[in-house]
Amino acid sequence: MRIVVLVKPVPDPGEERLGADGRLDRTVSAVINGNDEYVLEAALQLLDANGGDVTLLSMAPAGITDPIRKALAMGATRAVLVSDPALVGACAWSTAQVLAAALQTLEYDLVLVGADTSDGGGGVVGAAVATLLHHPYLSHARKIEPFEGGVRVERLSASGHDVLEAALPAVVGGTQLLGEPRYPTLRGIMGARSKEIAIRTLAEIGLADRAVGGAHATTTLLDARPPASRGSTRVVRGADPAAAAAAIVDFLVERRAI
Amino acid sequence: MTAAPALGRLTDDQRAIRDAVRTLARERVAPRAAEIDRSATFPEDLRALLAEQGILGLPFPERFGGLGADLLTVCLAIEALSAACATTGLILAVQELGALPLLLAGTEEQLERFVPGLAAGRDLIAFALTEADAGSDAAAVRTRAIRDGESYVVSGTKRFISHGSVAHLVIVFAVTDPEADRRRRISAFVVETDSPGFSVSRLEHKLGIRGSPTAELAFDEVRVPVANRIGAEGDGFDLAMRTLDRSRPGIAAQAIGIAQGALDAAAAYAGQRRQFGRAIGEFQLVQGLLADMDARTEAARQLLYTACDEIEHGAPDAGRWSALCKLVAGDAAMAVTTDAVQVFGGYGYLDDFPVERMMRDAKITQLYEGTQQIQRLVIARALLARNA
Amino acid sequence: MGGIWVVGEVDGDGALTKLSCEAATASRLLGEAAMLDVRGVVVAAEPDAAAASMTAFLPVVIAVRAPEALERPAAAVVAARVAALAGAAAEPPAYVVVGATPDGRDLAGALAALLGVGILVGATGLAWADAADGLPAGPRVEMQPFGGRVVTTSAFTGERGIILLRPNMVAAEPLAALGRVEAAATQEIVDPAPVRVVERVVTQSTGPAIEDARVIVAGGRGVGGPDGFSGLADLAGLLGGAVGATRAAVDAGWVDYAIQIGQTGKTVKPAVYLAFGVSGAIQHKVGMQTSEIIVAVNRDPDAPIGEFADLFVVADLAAVVPALASALRARAG
Repeated sequence: MRIVVLVKPVPDPGEERLGADGRLDRTVSAVINGNDEYVLEAALQLLDANGGDVTLLSMAPAGITDPIRKALAMGATRAVLVSDPALVGACAWSTAQVLAAALQTLEYDLVLVGADTSDGGGGVVGAAVATLLHHPYLSHARKIEPFEGGVRVERLSASGHDVLEAALPAVVGGTQLLGEPRYPTLRGIMGARSKEIAIRTLAEIGLADRAVGGAHATTTLLDARPPASRGSTRVVRGADPAAAAAAIVDFLVERRAI
Repeated sequence: MTAAPALGRLTDDQRAIRDAVRTLARERVAPRAAEIDRSATFPEDLRALLAEQGILGLPFPERFGGLGADLLTVCLAIEALSAACATTGLILAVQELGALPLLLAGTEEQLERFVPGLAAGRDLIAFALTEADAGSDAAAVRTRAIRDGESYVVSGTKRFISHGSVAHLVIVFAVTDPEADRRRRISAFVVETDSPGFSVSRLEHKLGIRGSPTAELAFDEVRVPVANRIGAEGDGFDLAMRTLDRSRPGIAAQAIGIAQGALDAAAAYAGQRRQFGRAIGEFQLVQGLLADMDARTEAARQLLYTACDEIEHGAPDAGRWSALCKLVAGDAAMAVTTDAVQVFGGYGYLDDFPVERMMRDAKITQLYEGTQQIQRLVIARALLARNA
Repeated sequence: MGGIWVVGEVDGDGALTKLSCEAATASRLLGEAAMLDVRGVVVAAEPDAAAASMTAFLPVVIAVRAPEALERPAAAVVAARVAALAGAAAEPPAYVVVGATPDGRDLAGALAALLGVGILVGATGLAWADAADGLPAGPRVEMQPFGGRVVTTSAFTGERGIILLRPNMVAAEPLAALGRVEAAATQEIVDPAPVRVVERVVTQSTGPAIEDARVIVAGGRGVGGPDGFSGLADLAGLLGGAVGATRAAVDAGWVDYAIQIGQTGKTVKPAVYLAFGVSGAIQHKVGMQTSEIIVAVNRDPDAPIGEFADLFVVADLAAVVPALASALRARAG
């Protein structure tokens, strides 16, 4: 089974900041987007069970390889990184086009994508990529079961889950319920150094003349400011349960919440 | 594995391994540390985790399923684990200690028989030299191994054996020739603990590293095949000393890890605890304590890294390096953890906070694998020999 | 220029979602400021009921009957129909507004690809601005990325775009007079690659989605087990709210993932967030720290939540939860 996992290096959650140019500062220590780790784990479980390979596909500045190496250390086979100066400041729509174009240079049965990203992404790229490639899109998966020529997915719903089926190749979006990501073993870490990270420019994926990248961004950031201060915390200590309850009720009344 | 580059900088692999073990220590070991100490129970779940992650495979050759890591890398892993829990760091340290006699002097057949299970972390191994009347005076051991056909019959008692009750294999140092010179009387044997006549006769209740089982082992005419003898008859004492030369850095690493854990806890506390309207970390007396703690820990660490490099590269005075790093690190750990309790003030005395445990754990690093006094003798003898 | 289309989301019972009513209201206000026409679009196997509900908020609602939605996941079906409508319209919409639900994100992504436009995700504020600084007149969208650590304002560089709107951004406000429904048929649909719904498994009652709740009563590791959560459910009932949970409670198997709030769960912005036995670690904080009022009860005086709660009660939740329930009952009774 040939699987491509879309992974996005993002700043360590809690460390995100905007640079002087108003854009997300991507030189801050990067990790794989938390939600991507779940689909990567799902891909690795499928690899353990069925053989094949797992390719990581990412659009990111060329210098950011540490999170990719960690994902390779977890067990992925190789990585493809689309990197081009023109992509600085690219919007979600550009990202989707770039990833779709890159996928067209790869061979795969299944593409896995995580839920939204911790750096402000919206969880829309998977649907956009699937639509561009005219692949079935099965999102919010809590379970992924490939079968001969197809894939069955349990998709979370408001009242439980739906069981979906589609033919391969397909794009599947995953959730935390796919399973806790494994720690890279020490053997995996040492092996990752010799795994391939192929860098591709826009020209190499056939987008040289296309309107993608920062210069063609469909959205732009105008302003960033810290949120309004919450004010100080009122602390209640040493009260018995009834007094504590009364303090809560009084507070809510005072703030016109009840 | 590439050798360490010059000037003590870690290779990419070493850094990656250290960071991976740190992450595991922080996420999976640290939350268990207080409970392991309180219940004085061997953390079998963490043993399994270390095995699964390949950490217990670090000291062993790749051809047997190990990772073939150098001494420094093993010490980096022990240090990272010990910062979270000294008992857990000791799991790797004892595995290395116990296996060293085999790795230093075992035949290929013995390695093939025993090492795969050790490298997989499935089998634990202990090092049984010490006896009730033979601590610092290791040559005075009395456990006896009498040759009988294709076996030896081993009888005697070993004391203070780390992992003695959870190990599958024990390296036992026993007297094979009572008439020979002190240093040629002893031989080393691999004893499988499921052998008839082997029993655990006592488990100690200790001040620290309470989750690590410290056992008295009784050998009642245990038959050990000749094929399990390591090296020739009479090689035992020398093998034990060569082993300790290589294993003492592991204890230094444990001590440095304990010190770092205590330092980090104290620094964090100093940033949060407020008295007289300020964080106590703003007061110079507290800053002085913390600075001295950091200096001592870092000095011990850099000495350890250099010692590992020297020993790995076959330095003829490996014994001196090993004694130096263990001496400095053990004393640093005791001082730093004591000061950490001091930074916490009264709260440091309570088991609600980890520093009292770290202080109790630190003490053993001044006692085992050669007391600090023995380390001083080793260093002084080497010094005087150089200047003779 | 083209107007604003609001795509209404239909729940499992065929009703219009609360978030869609809010989206309709917010879009209507935007349209007034922009002097743009605003219409609703409802695509479903049976769109009539939801379309009729939407007329409470918008003067015109287009209803599209899509029988294939019975056996397909909704988002791709809706996207294809909306794109076809847009393609056939005399004036294609400039902006499409969608509620930021799982289906809404899928819809927005698919629609972006079909229409070739950009998306602004997670709007918590929506205003209109005149042309300035090289940007055309258009919506100015407020978002709170990085778990609310920063508040940003963004815009589309062109004159088209898709906006995903968060719940509780605006209160749904009906029009004085109902609008009307226009049925529409669509031709030239680009059929999405087929995905078949083989089975729909119901395992819990379809209560209000936690993101929609005005009051959330959340429990963490300190709650200790599923029994503790029934006490929280009691409080939620008394306050007309929903129960939420941290990852620790979900991983322990005490509650379902559907109510997990935080980095890998839901992001919520209720009027009141009552946290019991919640430490307030960053992974949870990013999912709820923009709540209007945060009240936390925790035995640990050093719990991080004490740093950003509005009211922090250091006490054992096991005693406070029933005491609070009694106090609330006494007020009501």
